Amino acid sequence: MMVNRRTVLIVLVVFSLLAATASWSAAAEPFRVGVAVSLTGAFGKEGTMVQDAYILWMETVNARGGINGHPVELTFYDDKSDPATSAKLIDRLVIGDKVDLLLGGFGSSLVFAASAAAERHGYPLISGAASSNRLFERGFKYYFSTLGKATEEVRGCVEMFTAVTPKPKTAAIIGADILFTSLACEGYREYAGRHGIEVIHYELFPMAFQEYNSLLHKVKGKDPDLLLVGSHLLVAMRVMKALKEIDYSPKAVAFSYGPTVPRFAEELKGDAEFVIAASEWAPNLPFEGAVFGSAADFNRTFSDRFQRRPDFVEAAAVGGALAQQLAIERLGLKPPLSGADRAAIRDKLVSDTFPTFYGVIDFAPDGANVAQPPVAVQIQDGALKTVYPLEYAESEIRYPFQAWKQR
Amino acid sequence: MDVLFVQALINGLLLGGVYAAYSAGFSLIFGVMGVLNLAHGELVMLGAFIAYGLFELVHLDPYLSIPIAAVSLFLGGYAIQKFIINRVIEQPHLMSYILTFGLHLILANTAVKLWTHDFRTITTSYSGMNAAFWGLNIPYARLITFFLAVAVVIFLWLFLNRSETGRAIRATAQDKYAARLMGVNVREIYALTFGLGAAVTGMAGASLSPFTIIFPEMGLGYTVTAFCVVVLGGMGYMQGALYGGFALGVVQSLAAAYLSAGISVAVTFLLLFIMLVLRPTGLSGKGIAG
Repeated sequence: MMVNRRTVLIVLVVFSLLAATASWSAAAEPFRVGVAVSLTGAFGKEGTMVQDAYILWMETVNARGGINGHPVELTFYDDKSDPATSAKLIDRLVIGDKVDLLLGGFGSSLVFAASAAAERHGYPLISGAASSNRLFERGFKYYFSTLGKATEEVRGCVEMFTAVTPKPKTAAIIGADILFTSLACEGYREYAGRHGIEVIHYELFPMAFQEYNSLLHKVKGKDPDLLLVGSHLLVAMRVMKALKEIDYSPKAVAFSYGPTVPRFAEELKGDAEFVIAASEWAPNLPFEGAVFGSAADFNRTFSDRFQRRPDFVEAAAVGGALAQQLAIERLGLKPPLSGADRAAIRDKLVSDTFPTFYGVIDFAPDGANVAQPPVAVQIQDGALKTVYPLEYAESEIRYPFQAWKQR
Repeated sequence: MDVLFVQALINGLLLGGVYAAYSAGFSLIFGVMGVLNLAHGELVMLGAFIAYGLFELVHLDPYLSIPIAAVSLFLGGYAIQKFIINRVIEQPHLMSYILTFGLHLILANTAVKLWTHDFRTITTSYSGMNAAFWGLNIPYARLITFFLAVAVVIFLWLFLNRSETGRAIRATAQDKYAARLMGVNVREIYALTFGLGAAVTGMAGASLSPFTIIFPEMGLGYTVTAFCVVVLGGMGYMQGALYGGFALGVVQSLAAAYLSAGISVAVTFLLLFIMLVLRPTGLSGKGIAG
């Protein structure tokens, strides 16, 4: 008898639990959002940063009651820094997992492949961490990026030198021969030309390249005023190590990406001083919008959550997720989303502008965000300071780069 | 001769020293057991992480952690051979490739879980310091690794040629059946050899930690380069690691200085190809062909 009563009790409890879950999920079916991003491989570090950014977005949105009353549920797959895998994972997310929405991963080469798959399925794909010009030249309808084009991203890193004296006259441009960094090098060359800075050395190298010392010795022999580097984090760190080893201090060293990642200054310590980097966002910019408040508010929320300040790529990733969220809110959509819903979101993303902590996001029909200012930052006393454009500068540009042996 | 040429030559020799330092262990393990250790780069990574960890935790100078890396990697290597690789050592070589490839994946991915993807480096008060004269620069850290490479190769040569255990190792390499008949415990010799190879590789990893970027997935590139160095120098011939390392370093450096950085990478494989076709026994002519 006892046993029977206990069994009945257990069955009752189980049923009531099941009923509770069922009713909860019926009340608030989630928006299921899929992300293919590099969690291992060459971009494992940067990819996990983008993952952090999306997690923060999800947590913040859900804490505020979700999108149109529905929570967000993220699914991450690791593309292992391999473009073909990235495209396959988009197929898996769309066909297998039947997610409602997608968000972009890290790196132009990967997003290039992923966005082609997303376009085929008619899913908007907003990336905050890919900026190669060619991403926008494919006539795609569903691809968007909150970063500016790669060639534009480094504009501030060149223009800022019009504000220093004596004005530099020559530059060497080197960079890794992959999509984003090679375009960054083209951007350097373009803007150097416009501002009367002569490019006396231009060289790209493969990612597997090892002998940075000899390459930079060759550059040192030509004695350019500026060294402009098309880089991701790893290349940027290797270049800094080599510069010190060969005792080469040009008047300024700038990177397209790398120094804004906190690790750069933490690991290189004093050797990171004076380094300049392209950025598209900084916590002191006067931007404001829904969900996260101002740029400074976002900086605080992010720092509280991860005990480090956000990199501009993380801000751009959250910005992209936010733009998609605002488009859905304005359309009043609820999950599960249909193909027509996603087409409506795409049109809304193009037609509207979205004021956010990241800036006013304004997508051109080719998917590029046209509104970002050309920010350049410099590492000063261990911290990143916005030094350009001058109206947003937190600190004066420290120029020239202090010689290694005087540090 | 202009300054750039001399400098490129110096850079090449220093780079070659780095290559030789971490390839000597690869050559030893391959020469004695015929095991192409595809987890070799992970041993470099572990040596570097030991130096980095001790530097961050107890501020131990990276050069003082070289012996600690050697002992830890010896024990680790010994255990790997004794408990894992010895199980397939009598099987066709393909088995050991698959096994060590698995080890490579396990070690690299465990390291990612433990230490994340962060790129790290050891920045000391003297990092990047260099001797400057006649317009040339010689970075001290690389010079130390260069001498370490030479010392390691001399030590291994002396050990293999002059010590009782060394003779047993060579005997096993030449004919394991005869060695077994002479009372040599072949499996124990294998474990010792792998331990020794891992130890010198760990030392190399620790010694290059002040001037390289350290991260869990750094290993594969080191394995590939070590393979090239050993093929160039002569497979299974100890001094070959030095010859191969220097040859590769100098050619890459001159290519980077006079041709282009892109060609400098291609040149590695071109050299490897030419070597395998024309002189499969390596530069020294004393390696094992095929």
